[in-house]
Amino acid sequence: MAQLDVRFFKPFIEGTINTLKIQCGIEAKPDKPFIKGQKEQPEFAIAGVIGITSNAFNGTITLCYPEKVFLGVMSKMLGEEYKEITKDLQDGVAELLNIIFGQAKITLSNQGFTIQKAIPTVVRGHQLTTSVLSSGPVMVLPFQTEMGEFHVEICSESAM
Amino acid sequence: MFDPKTRLLVVDDMLTMRKLVSKVCKELGFTDITEAEDGAKAWEVIQAANPPIGLIISDWNMPNCSGLDFLKRVRGAGKYGKTPFIMVTAEAEQHQVVEALKAGVSNYVVKPFTADQLKDKIEAVHKKLST
Repeated sequence: MAQLDVRFFKPFIEGTINTLKIQCGIEAKPDKPFIKGQKEQPEFAIAGVIGITSNAFNGTITLCYPEKVFLGVMSKMLGEEYKEITKDLQDGVAELLNIIFGQAKITLSNQGFTIQKAIPTVVRGHQLTTSVLSSGPVMVLPFQTEMGEFHVEICSESAM
Repeated sequence: MFDPKTRLLVVDDMLTMRKLVSKVCKELGFTDITEAEDGAKAWEVIQAANPPIGLIISDWNMPNCSGLDFLKRVRGAGKYGKTPFIMVTAEAEQHQVVEALKAGVSNYVVKPFTADQLKDKIEAVHKKLST
């Protein structure tokens, strides 16, 4: 199995921490990243997905939240308490992913990577998990917050 | 600071971000806030607005008409050429900032941002207008 370059996923960890801290006032502590399949797959209720292309990596970045955590994050970000994921609220996961991507892109550009993204997609449901058809590795980046755990998945179609 | 009666136009394809920007602006005292989901809709709002829009806060990456295209359209129309225009974007590469400055942006906010950072940018634009 191809290896996912650590230089590629580290900026997404830092981008996630910065985005949650600055935009939502939430401290997200990263847990140890793992390759998908090595541990039980975390379930989620909402996810933002973007396809990315670069000179070193093609694939997808997925930001996955259980319902309770997402509602907590949106409540902090918008300063109102939310009890359910409404249609009005769901694009928040795509916006956070856009911001995380923008943060990571700055670091990656400074390292000489050129990286572009597609328009994000939002997926909603109950007890969702991802299933990847790519032959490349899928890195799972888990984070702990005061509301619970969420994670970012980086799926590579052609790793370095 | 801007007169609270200044008509503010918030443009973003993401509803949650429009909500967030509008909330911060309400805290600053703005009472007349209109939202639009892309540059094309925002252009329609501007043309129909009477009294005119006095401040625009727009996202960069939007479908149909991007923030940059919208800015160029606003600046290209003599009537709105001096309307304060703040660009909000998640991507802040040097060439993008330069492109926005060349197109006549009044200030630039990079996501993620705190409420205080957005307030500072709005105040800076007002200060520049007043001098």
